[in-house]
Amino acid sequence: MFHDRARYQSTQGYQLAPVRFSRLDAARYVVTNDAGEYVVLSRQELVDFIGHSLPPDRPTYQALKSRHFLFDAHSRVALELLALKYRTRAEQLANFTGLHIFVVTLRCDHSCAYCQVSRQAEGRLEFDMSQEHADRALDFMFRSPSPALKIEFQGGEPLLHFERIRYIIERAKAMNAVHGRALQFVIASNLSRLTDEVLDFCRVHGVLLSTSLDGPEDLHNAQRPVRGGDSHRRTLDAIQRARQALGPDGVSALMTTTHASMERVEDIIDEYVRQGFRSIFLRNLSPYGFAVRQRASRQYGVEAWVEFYKRGLAHILRINAQGYPLQEEFAAILLQKIFSPRGSTYVDLQSPAGIGIGALVYNYDGAVYASDEGRMLAEMGDFSFRLGHLSRDSYESIMTSETLLAHLSDTMPEGAPMCSDCAFLPYCGADPVFHQATKKDAVGHKAFSAFCKKQMGVLRHLIGLLEDDAQARDILMGWR
Amino acid sequence: MVRSDQVTKTDTETQSPFIFRDGVIQTLLDLRVYRLAAIQKSAYRFAEQFTAVFDSPKEERLPIRCIFAPTVTEQDALETLRLFFQELLDQELREQVGDETRALRALIVAQAFSRTDLIRQD
Ligand code: SF4
Repeated sequence: MFHDRARYQSTQGYQLAPVRFSRLDAARYVVTNDAGEYVVLSRQELVDFIGHSLPPDRPTYQALKSRHFLFDAHSRVALELLALKYRTRAEQLANFTGLHIFVVTLRCDHSCAYCQVSRQAEGRLEFDMSQEHADRALDFMFRSPSPALKIEFQGGEPLLHFERIRYIIERAKAMNAVHGRALQFVIASNLSRLTDEVLDFCRVHGVLLSTSLDGPEDLHNAQRPVRGGDSHRRTLDAIQRARQALGPDGVSALMTTTHASMERVEDIIDEYVRQGFRSIFLRNLSPYGFAVRQRASRQYGVEAWVEFYKRGLAHILRINAQGYPLQEEFAAILLQKIFSPRGSTYVDLQSPAGIGIGALVYNYDGAVYASDEGRMLAEMGDFSFRLGHLSRDSYESIMTSETLLAHLSDTMPEGAPMCSDCAFLPYCGADPVFHQATKKDAVGHKAFSAFCKKQMGVLRHLIGLLEDDAQARDILMGWR
Repeated sequence: MVRSDQVTKTDTETQSPFIFRDGVIQTLLDLRVYRLAAIQKSAYRFAEQFTAVFDSPKEERLPIRCIFAPTVTEQDALETLRLFFQELLDQELREQVGDETRALRALIVAQAFSRTDLIRQD
């Protein structure tokens, strides 16, 4: 199928490249190409560009040409370059599946109201993962072609079943002598059971810790009840000990935004700074478990969350301008997608969806899910994202299962109404579990989708900052 | 496009060419100006604001009824319709881009994953 380049040459001075555009604000548009590059144009510039009436001596013409939004007689290798950039972005898909989540127990000593899984009392050992299932899960993990494998331990509270964690890490390392992958281990824990023995083990085996810090003491303790009511103090003590044993970056923290957090984004961020963290992930509550059990008055809409996010980001930028480097992780992921030739590998914002090919979840009972949210949805009685079982299914049958393949083809946003011509598509992704949970349909009607509103709201805000605020741009470019 | 003989001003303050009655605005769209695909995509995008009901086209004009939720005020409905007409123009531009670049997009994707060069140099 060889064609002369002339076949794609326009007779009208220049040829448009395939582009998508969306409004940035009342006066401007964001225009993107398939390689993820963007330009911002006024409406008149957009109309001129599409109508082939942009004069070649205008700076806008040169900007569009240099980023492959148009080709003219002098664009010698532009098509090939664009194809190469497109391939670079898509290539990471071939390296699936990098993240493997082991739910080693559902038992927990906390009773957080927003818990998204059915936590079990500490004594209920029948909710622990068996050694047989751990062995099968490790076999599955090493079948994945990814050169880098991250094992994340989740619960419940995974440290209540530390013996299984120890077993899995030691066995994974032994198996890796043959497989030669880059292994990484993370325990997501409330750290209440962080004994010296656990810390020693983590230090020897290079295990990282990830914990929950919801903000200042009153807010954190109200959201994370524990016997004694002192979860905040215990968490800070444990973070301190973990840093001493594992180094300053050995422990990271995550926050959850509840209705009570909405007015306190600055307090939450200040607490992270006080505790010496260099990053914070302003996350909204997922529509599973707690969020749907709440009374309407305790829920918040996506518009309110986007405002919370903008206020938070403004505060973080001020803190950076004052000399303390603090990175906001959601913005960092989106900036990587905007500026990195490879995009970002963040599982929840992949296209097609990161389910299965980005992450696999091995539940305590042997069930295999396409994502952690898919497991949470199962807790609500919807098993749409359950791919199979470790005792009954093979890796091949799970990875080629109708359940997974149907979800993957459904979640190619290039084919989804609204997404197919949205400028934010190269930076967006699909979140089928979210749409299944909220709309009972994995694709979802984007005009009604809170996920879409969140993506558009945050991306418009970020691109607006990059365009209009030089100081913010300098700081944000350092997060890519 | 709204035909001039369809224009009836509801009140002099809003100066709107549309009538909002019982939660509905009716108008005609000129299919020589807006492609059907552009109209349908615009209606899809505005599905949260109103439900668009189309009747059979008559003489290249497509009757559309925009049905709003009972809580929507006249002022809000008219503003929404103004934005809907802006969106129609955007969608029309997108259709133009699509017509011109569809084959090129297929070529770029094919070139990206091909082992041989599909674009012959000069
Ligand atoms: S989900 Fe929304 S923001 Fe994302 S690509 Fe689709 S339409 Fe655009």
